[in-house]
Parts: sequence; C-alpha cells; structure tokens
Amino acid sequence: MSSAGEARFRVQAPNSLPRAIKVIALDAVGAAATDRLAAGGWQQAAFFHALSSGALRDFFGRTSAVDDEVATADLIVMVAGPGGQAHAAATIGRACSARRVNTTGLLVSNAADPGLSKTLAQLRPWSLMVVIADSDEYIGDMMTALRA
Amino acid sequence: MLRKEQNDLLTQTGPGTAMGRMFRSYWLPALLADELPENDCPPVRVKLLSERLIAFRDTQGRYGLMDEFCAHRGVSLWFGRNEECGLRCSYHGWKYDVSGQCVDVPSEPEASGFAKKIKLRGYPLVERGGVLWTYMGPPEAQPPLPEWEFIMVPPAHTFSSKRLQESNWLQAMEGGIDSSHVSWLHRGDLDSDPLFQGAKGNQYNLNDARPVFEVAESPGGLYIGARRHAEGGHYYWRITQWVMPSFTMIAPRGHHSVHGHFWIPIDDDTCWTWSYDYHPIRALTTGERDAMRDGKGIHVRYVPGTYRPLANKDNDYLIDRVAQKAGRTFSGVDGIAMQDASLQESMGPVVDRTRENLVSTDNGIIMARHRLLRAVKAFTEKGVAPPGVDAAHQKVRSAAIVLPPDVPFTEGARDALIARPEVAPASV
Repeated sequence: MSSAGEARFRVQAPNSLPRAIKVIALDAVGAAATDRLAAGGWQQAAFFHALSSGALRDFFGRTSAVDDEVATADLIVMVAGPGGQAHAAATIGRACSARRVNTTGLLVSNAADPGLSKTLAQLRPWSLMVVIADSDEYIGDMMTALRA
Repeated sequence: MLRKEQNDLLTQTGPGTAMGRMFRSYWLPALLADELPENDCPPVRVKLLSERLIAFRDTQGRYGLMDEFCAHRGVSLWFGRNEECGLRCSYHGWKYDVSGQCVDVPSEPEASGFAKKIKLRGYPLVERGGVLWTYMGPPEAQPPLPEWEFIMVPPAHTFSSKRLQESNWLQAMEGGIDSSHVSWLHRGDLDSDPLFQGAKGNQYNLNDARPVFEVAESPGGLYIGARRHAEGGHYYWRITQWVMPSFTMIAPRGHHSVHGHFWIPIDDDTCWTWSYDYHPIRALTTGERDAMRDGKGIHVRYVPGTYRPLANKDNDYLIDRVAQKAGRTFSGVDGIAMQDASLQESMGPVVDRTRENLVSTDNGIIMARHRLLRAVKAFTEKGVAPPGVDAAHQKVRSAAIVLPPDVPFTEGARDALIARPEVAPASV
C-alpha cells in the first residue's frame, strides 16, 4: 500500500553507482553545444569532438581513440545538427555495438528541418534512442536527469 | 532525476502555486455530462486543483461550478436544494445562481440589496462532447473552448470515462508517455482485449520486442515514436502525442477506436484519469461501448456508485498470482488501466524523483519535464501562454504507420498527426 505516511518510510540509502556518460559532437552544431556544456562542471560526464581522423578530442585539447573512450563509458551521447555531417556516427556506433555500450543520438534541430533526414539516416543505425530537440538547452537537462 | 525544488514545482498545483496557475490557463475536464443528467438534478461535489467545489445544473439547463461552501456559515452546498434557477443552502436558505452570485438571503429584507454583496468564487462550466469543461483562471485570459477531436466528433463516435487515481498527476501522466513499459506490463493484452485484438500492427509488436524510441518536440508538446521492423526494410511506427500539460493520445490499432487520456489534479496526492475512445469517421458499435463500460481497453470497472476502480489499493488491485505465473498477465493485475494505475500508485502519492535512476529510453519523460519547466518559467516570469492553450495544438492525432527507413517520422506522418474532420486515422 502507498500512502503519504507510508511513503515517508522509504529506505534512504544510495541506490546506484555513478555512471560514466560521454558526449561526442559529430558536427559543428554538436561542437557548439558540447563546448557550452563542457564548461558546466559535470561530475560523471566527459565531452569530445569527433575528428575527421577518426579520433576524439576532449575539451582540454587531448586526443584519444574512440575504442578507448567507449571502453570506459556507460552511455555514449552523439550530438549533431541537421544536414548530414554526422559521418563519425558509424565509427562510434560500431565501437559501442562491439562493447554493448548504450547509445543515444541527439539531434539539435526543428522537427520540420529539411536536412533532418540526412542526419537521421546516419544516426539511426547506431542509436538505441533518438531525440530531436529544438534547442541544445535540452542536453543539459537530459544530462542532469541521467545523473551526469 | 529531478531536484527536489523542481519536483515540488511540477507536482504542486494548488492555488497560488506556479504549476497550479499554469493549469488554470487551460479548459479542464471537470465532470462527465452524465453526472448532471437533468435540470435541477442533485449537485455534485468536485475537487480540482486543490479547491473544493460544487457543480449543479439549474432549472434552465445552465451549468455552474463554484465554491462548495455557503458564504454564511460555511455549510456544504451539497446538501442544498437545486430549485428555481439556483442552489439554496439547506441551513438558512441562502441561494446562489450558476455564477456563484447570491440571489436570496431570506433573513434580510429583499430591498436591502444584501444578497448582491455575497458572491462565491465561480468558474464557467460548459458541455462539449459529453464532458463538462471548466476554466479556473482569470476571466480576462479565458481561451476559446477546447477543440480536442474526441469532443468535436458526433456523440455516437465518442465515449469518455474517468477514474480516481491515488497518485499525483505527474507520475500518472509520465506513465502515459513512457512507451517502453508497454512491451512488458501490457504484453498479454494485445491479443485478448476486444478493443485491441486483431490488428495487423499487433504482429509487429509481438515480432519485435525491442523497439527503438524517437522523441521530437511538437508545437504543443511532444511526438513520441516507437519504431519496429516491418516488411521490406521499412519501419512500423507507433506515434503517441503528448500535449501540455497532461493530454495524451495513444497510437491506434487496426480498425479500432483511437484513445488517450487527460490527467487532472484533484489535489497533490490524487488526480482524475480521464480516458476517451473515439473514431473520427464512424460511430462506435454497441459492442465497443459495452466493452468500454465493462472496463476493457483503457477503461475500468468501478466500485458501485463511485468513480473509484473496483480493483484498488485497498484490495491489492485484485492481484492474481496464478495468472501472473501462467503469463496471462505480466504483473498479475487485470486490465491495462489498472496495470498502469497499480504501479503508479505503488510509487507513493508523490514519488521522490531525487532518487530515481533514469536511462536513455526515458527521454520522453525527461523531455516532457524539460518542456513543462520551460513553459512554467515563461508563464510565471513573462506571462507567456503555455503550449496546449492554442486550439491548433489540440487538433492532433496519434498514428500507427509504416514508413521507409530514412524518413523522419515527423515528416512521413505529418498529415496523419493532424486531426482533420471525416478523414480516417492512420492505423495499422
């Protein structure tokens, strides 16, 4: 039974361990969003740009391999805008698939943007969840909700 | 998770609260029209947004919704006499019209004009589509009447019910947009419920138990798409609409009626779950109406004489562990509505969202909270009317549709997601 009184007696001990969330910008729209977010002082999140070389570069300018970052992640969030410049999605997606790491594809775009389908075609095969948000403000709220 | 202050902001809807003020921007379903079936019928107690109100239908058929308590000594007007165009308090005979204006104080000389100085807070109450709608906000901001499709179709096309839900409105509403629970909690009902069975789309559901979800913002709220594999590399999409603050429309199945919900706060611990079924282009059959009255689909059976579900928390929702073990139901609770309500009520009246651990498939819930928080901030700080007030946001439909793999569902189903009179719903 649940009642207001009963609900007060819920166990208050921690019920989860921290998760590592890695946010990877796939194009210029994603880069602008992740750079803004990276300055936010997150406890459990790291932010990267996908480079044309296939490597990742973090907020401090350090480069690393996709496989290495995926290996230590619980969730990979790939961020892109419309227009079909999310080429790195396949490389990152394959690495996540091989290691069974969950993926979210986050498109910052109006749902009616004509360039949406091109990016969706790149993200869909590699995303277990796809979000189309009008504004990159959403990413911060999503990260907070996921305890990043 | 939400911070405590965010959780409080979204779940508290009483007078003076930010969310309560935002709710008061909308026309809200208050009663079924059947609850006031004839002129001068008995009044009905109604609690909405933490205010105790009384509804009545006067001698001329006008509806009124006002403060439940007489301005004289605070007696409940539920004991009042509904006669001669007003509700008269049984204690000393003070009488009120449908606006809450006192029109007679028998102990005072009529010529004194005393009655004109007494007025209870009253709200408009209007019948549309078999539902009585009220607007509880400032009169100068009253929007046009609601235009949800289920109340605009002919009466024979539509059926509405309501049930008491013993939880805060937000966790009930979040259940309505949490598409990922369907494959688990309701897995036994697609083939057995008369309001769902037989649709081709059911096979897509059963053949692909791991849908991929896509969430996109709509003008009034969200589109929540669940994508499954169909023939020839195509995708079968089930697209749910959420319109702020608490309207949902679930994707239809085959030739069946379209259905969905409103969740309206009674107070912070309880809400009304409104459930509607309608078909845009045909009358509901007798069999469909009988099934809905019998608690099938998204409706429930009641404790006689009430709107409390027959299966409720005081009888452990009539849980059947044998049916659970045999796989006839996943949770042991019978019926889609009470499968949802039992679990949502088990979370406690207001779930502590600081302790939850959301995952990526919860993005529909996360984005709904994000939009609600944005809307309540804009409404409170700048007076911006929230999404869902505009009638254009109400003329929406859910859809079940098969699309090529590279098409955004918002584009491929664009026309199907808009309510158009006498056009069949997109359904598989």
